[in-house]
Amino acid sequence: MIDSLMLVDDENLFHLVFEDACSLLDITLALEALDSSDEADKLFKKWFTDGPIDERPECVFVDLNIIGSSFDGIELIRKINYEYGNGVVIGIISSSQDEQEIEKARAVGAQFWIIKSDDIEPRLEEFKADYEGYKNRTAPFKVYK
Amino acid sequence: MKIQKSTRDILLEIAKHKRVYVEGNFLKLIEPEEGDEEFEEYLKLCKEKDSTSRRKRLEVTKQVQKQNSELERAQKENKRVNRQLEKALNEAIDSAEQSKKSKEEAEKAKEELEVALQLAEQSKEEAHKLKSEAEHAKEVAETDLSLLQKKTQTELMGSIVRVALWVIMGVGFVTTGLYVFVLLLGHDSKIIESTWSNLFGILLTNSFSIIGTIMGVKHANGGDKK
Repeated sequence: MIDSLMLVDDENLFHLVFEDACSLLDITLALEALDSSDEADKLFKKWFTDGPIDERPECVFVDLNIIGSSFDGIELIRKINYEYGNGVVIGIISSSQDEQEIEKARAVGAQFWIIKSDDIEPRLEEFKADYEGYKNRTAPFKVYK
Repeated sequence: MKIQKSTRDILLEIAKHKRVYVEGNFLKLIEPEEGDEEFEEYLKLCKEKDSTSRRKRLEVTKQVQKQNSELERAQKENKRVNRQLEKALNEAIDSAEQSKKSKEEAEKAKEELEVALQLAEQSKEEAHKLKSEAEHAKEVAETDLSLLQKKTQTELMGSIVRVALWVIMGVGFVTTGLYVFVLLLGHDSKIIESTWSNLFGILLTNSFSIIGTIMGVKHANGGDKK
């Protein structure tokens, strides 16, 4: 089970869906849901510059298009991976299946891409099974359709 | 994580009398003491209740999310339709303005055409006037020419008559003179007598012929004029 997980998504209703699904599937013990990439960026910057780095979540799920934010999910992943020390399991959770966007996400270090839909639980279950591989950096990039 | 017995007892007491159970991810951390079947059952019940309530909430949230998505889609569609309506309205306004402009241009062109028609009418009237004046001038010129021709003919005829009369009279006088001379001198006058007679006759005939011809020509000219 993941100790702590962060979700960055502008849709508040999805926060509830994700939280309940994660709880039912025993994916995580603690979930922090943010609705802005700027807020997530600020937290990771703080953890990187001021510490403690242990406060960082173990895994981060980022929406692709975060309405009301200065930048999208791919840019947030790039910042976390290249500016704030990397070290977390990170990927996209989005309803988009755009191949170009998926390729861009992989290029900035995203480890997975989960297609967001009404029936999210089977994908999260599959993700849970692959999680150790992501944590060890041995699992390849995967799209959960 | 294991909890103290007193806490365990309180939790069980609350569940028994108040039917209130521990909820949330905290449950996943609590472990019962070995052999404590009562607390193990309690935790199992708590987890079941928590799962049931979470599942219910998840279904409701999904339903709300679905409805929300549909509403958002409908809102997007409304926006799209509104944009189209706005565009159509703008196009209609543009068309109306264009029509108005075209109408104004047509009216202007009509006014210009009317002015041009008036000018053309004036030009036509002037052309008619000029034509009338030209015809009048032509008539005057023809009359003048006719008069001039008539005058010339009359003068010519007068000259011819005069010359012819002078010639006739001259020949008459000469012949008569010769006849008188022969008579006075007493010479043989037979030849001159017949000659004078013939010549006089011829001269008279010619004179009347000339006069007749002239009168005829004059009469003919007078008839042409009529």
